[in-house]
Amino acid sequence: MLNGLNVEGSTPLHRMSVRTKLAILLVLGVALYFFSSLFVLVPAFVLAAGIYFTTGLTVRDGLSRLKPVLFTIVILLIATAYLASIREATEAFFRLMALVLFAGAVTATTTTGDFIDEITRLLQPLDRLGLVRAADVGLAFGLVLRFVPDIFNHYQAIREAHRARGLKVRPLTILAPLIILTLKDADTIAMAIDARGFRRPRSDRNR
Amino acid sequence: MDIRFSGASVSFGERTVLQPLTLTLTERRIGIIGLNGSGKTTFARLINGLVKPTTGSVSVNGLDTVRDEGAVLAAAGFIFQNPQHQIIMPIVHEDIAFGLKNRGLKTDEIERRVAAVLVRFGIAHLAKRRVHELSGGETQLVAISSIVVTGPGILILDEPTNQLDLRNRRLIENTIAGLDEHAIVISHDLPLIERFERVLWFHDGKLVGDGPAPETIRAYREAAEC
Repeated sequence: MLNGLNVEGSTPLHRMSVRTKLAILLVLGVALYFFSSLFVLVPAFVLAAGIYFTTGLTVRDGLSRLKPVLFTIVILLIATAYLASIREATEAFFRLMALVLFAGAVTATTTTGDFIDEITRLLQPLDRLGLVRAADVGLAFGLVLRFVPDIFNHYQAIREAHRARGLKVRPLTILAPLIILTLKDADTIAMAIDARGFRRPRSDRNR
Repeated sequence: MDIRFSGASVSFGERTVLQPLTLTLTERRIGIIGLNGSGKTTFARLINGLVKPTTGSVSVNGLDTVRDEGAVLAAAGFIFQNPQHQIIMPIVHEDIAFGLKNRGLKTDEIERRVAAVLVRFGIAHLAKRRVHELSGGETQLVAISSIVVTGPGILILDEPTNQLDLRNRRLIENTIAGLDEHAIVISHDLPLIERFERVLWFHDGKLVGDGPAPETIRAYREAAEC
């Protein structure tokens, strides 16, 4: 949800540090699973919705951002209702929606750059132990967020090319060219990252 | 600017994509022309160390592209054929700041430099825009800005007007003409480089023409149209 979707503003959430926001989100995520009462879950949902829609998002934009997640939640609800009970499905709905709305509010009030910086900082101890390269992980997050719209554009172009050639659009026939295009892009992007001096030099490259 | 190729060649496996080359580049505006697959891009990528020479060496202002890779990358900025590939962050301002952050500059300094470059290229109004929403010309300007902001003395532009409409081509042409930096431009868009001081013409991995723009372009046109 963080693909450059932050909204300019000066709400308390905008001013809060990324670390605090992520910590609250984590605590909320764990805490809500200890409650199954709708007397807790419904107010949590209402509160999260209140926060989400006061970040500066328009109602239309706010709702459209929720669409992809809603689809997943609905499938989960149907499965829960079928396998457990409607009451449990209702609890799951309010619990998940409260989390999604709060996560959406964090997204809307955090720039991708700040988010990447925080990820990089949080991973510094592991970097010092030589277990990960914190800057690389931060960059990887940034790249995912940056290139999701590009991959979607590739998908649409391939789909249109299928239609133009009178071919039926099938996931399998789209997937192969999409993967090839994405890998080709990835190669050039890796080179561009090198060109922008991000990675530490390795003298053995291209030798 | 002082770029020296000393017997530099590039092979990928058995295939030689650039024959051994010895030359010096010092001019402010240098064009590179040739048919597709002639070795233009490989030549340009040798300059900032993105491709390493298989034989010989390449140096930029006295820095060896293999030994001093980091310093060479800082001295010679590369703008890719598809600017979308080099824009790494989702928001214009964040992307322009990206290179500076990696160099460990302080926030105030980053903001000052980003603001200056946005004004310099007339794209201050795009600062908060998402990069995938920009037009072709705007994307190219953001790509150029993101490299220029780090202060390289040399800019290498790989087909900067590729896929641009006439208006955006003019915009990029004027931008390149106004650059304070040395520029090495690979292009099929011959009017873009016709006033350059020097043009190199590659064919089948060999440098077959090297001289002032009018003569080299004329010879290339005659050969290409045969």
